[in-house]
Amino acid sequence: MIVTKGLHIGYKSSIAEVQDIKLDAGVYILIGKNGSGKSTLLKTIAGQLDSIQGAIEINGKEIKSIRKSNLPKLISFVGSKFPDVDFLKVVDYIALGRSPHNDFFGRKTARDAEVIDQAIDTLQIQDLKNRFTSQLSDGERQLAAIAQALTQETSIIILDEPTAFLDYLNKKIVLENLIKISAKFNKCILLSSHDIDLSIDAQRPFLVVRKDTNTIELLAAETSKNTIVSIAF
Amino acid sequence: MNATKRQNSLLLALLFCLPIVAFVHLYVGQIELTFTDYLDSIFSFDSQNTKHLIVRELRLPRMAMGIMAGAGLSIAGLLMQTLFNNPLAGPYILGINSGSSLFVALTLMTGIPFFTSDFGMIANSLIGAFLFGTIILFFSTVVRMQISLLLIGLMLGSFTAAIVAMIQTASDAQDLKMFTLWALGSLQKVELSQLPLIIAVFAIGLFGALLAVKPLNILVLGETEARLLGVNIRRVRLFIILITALITGLITAFCGPIAFVGLAIPNLVRILFKSQNHRILILSSTIIGAIFILICDISIQFMEPYFIVPINALTSIVGAPFVILLVLKRLR
Repeated sequence: MIVTKGLHIGYKSSIAEVQDIKLDAGVYILIGKNGSGKSTLLKTIAGQLDSIQGAIEINGKEIKSIRKSNLPKLISFVGSKFPDVDFLKVVDYIALGRSPHNDFFGRKTARDAEVIDQAIDTLQIQDLKNRFTSQLSDGERQLAAIAQALTQETSIIILDEPTAFLDYLNKKIVLENLIKISAKFNKCILLSSHDIDLSIDAQRPFLVVRKDTNTIELLAAETSKNTIVSIAF
Repeated sequence: MNATKRQNSLLLALLFCLPIVAFVHLYVGQIELTFTDYLDSIFSFDSQNTKHLIVRELRLPRMAMGIMAGAGLSIAGLLMQTLFNNPLAGPYILGINSGSSLFVALTLMTGIPFFTSDFGMIANSLIGAFLFGTIILFFSTVVRMQISLLLIGLMLGSFTAAIVAMIQTASDAQDLKMFTLWALGSLQKVELSQLPLIIAVFAIGLFGALLAVKPLNILVLGETEARLLGVNIRRVRLFIILITALITGLITAFCGPIAFVGLAIPNLVRILFKSQNHRILILSSTIIGAIFILICDISIQFMEPYFIVPINALTSIVGAPFVILLVLKRLR
């Protein structure tokens, strides 16, 4: 689903080089030091930031040739900051994920309602539906944000540190949900994380930013903790 | 579902209140009318009857202007609050009115003939509002903290006030009086013949705001999120600033700068409706804003025999404490 070729990422100049990778359906965990370019990579793949050099293909299409208004139908992005809004119900928040598919006036169809219900069921957050987003705990917010991304019906979901600020149990719940979603809907899910142990427990492939050369490479799920730590930190 | 029902009945109740308040507004005034006279002036108008003429030529434009001023400023405030993600934003505090004031001051006190026409004054007010709207828009992309944008708006206000003061010292007594009266704010200066134009421009503004419902609903999440959901931020920003400048400029040209309505009403509406759906927020801001200004103006007319309160003063007297309360309760 995601293929990169000779990719260099950065804001003005290249801060990291990505070894040519090919990501299919599944969960991939991005690990690296602070400031090593994790967020930059995620933003670049999500089409929010232009690459310095090289190509990214999303479902076989060069990312730059995809219209900006079509991008949210292919990739959903869960940022690290949950929007702080009064009087916004969880169900309405989740429903905003349908907006790339809605018409000019944002009218909801029966299909929209179906997709929204399905996302809520998948994450088992029925009891949050009618609460205001401002009343949610950090863990609940993350689940709501993932549900919103799910309603976009994209083949790729990218998450910037979804487990930061969460306690151990909630970290596990979030990660388990992502793995479940990826398997159930055949999605490619890419997330960055600082939780090495949890990530290793998940037994998923890693993308690691090499500390000395700042190259990003794909490592197999079986890679040992020591190897990952020695490469990244 | 229950919440939607509650919102709808609330909206319906408000919709019912507006004509009643408007009806009362039309009835009160310095010249006392019997109720029969009043009803006749509406239902069997006689152009020879002075009392009928008072209702039609003086009170009707005043009422219509009140409705549009309250509604328009509330819509403008709502749009700016959502666009800038700042519940304290509004056309007055962000200096959009100041832009209008500056250009109206030039209109009224420079004596250039084109400017002094009706059309010239509206055009200038609109240009001023749009110019200052663009300035605020530019700053909004640069500053990070919500409070910074408010401070910049206030500074724009002081800056313009200083320039206006300079123009004032250089102008003659007659022009000065005209400008001072304008700056106090009033709904009375509108004539019946000007109403169609004002209604047309107002309708464009309202319609434009309703066209932006979808992006506004997404913008509630902030610009970054909105962009990720496919909102064309640059286009939407420009569109919203155009709409708010159009509405604010129009109302300011005819009524003078009216403070706090744009800031307070949308907040009141959000608290009442507990919603972030802009279709509901726009419609209810329109109605509540209109009712608010009409009630203010009714009170003004009751106080008139004892002392004269300009509309701008009254909205500030009511609005400022509300905003302080809001800051204390929700934004600390």
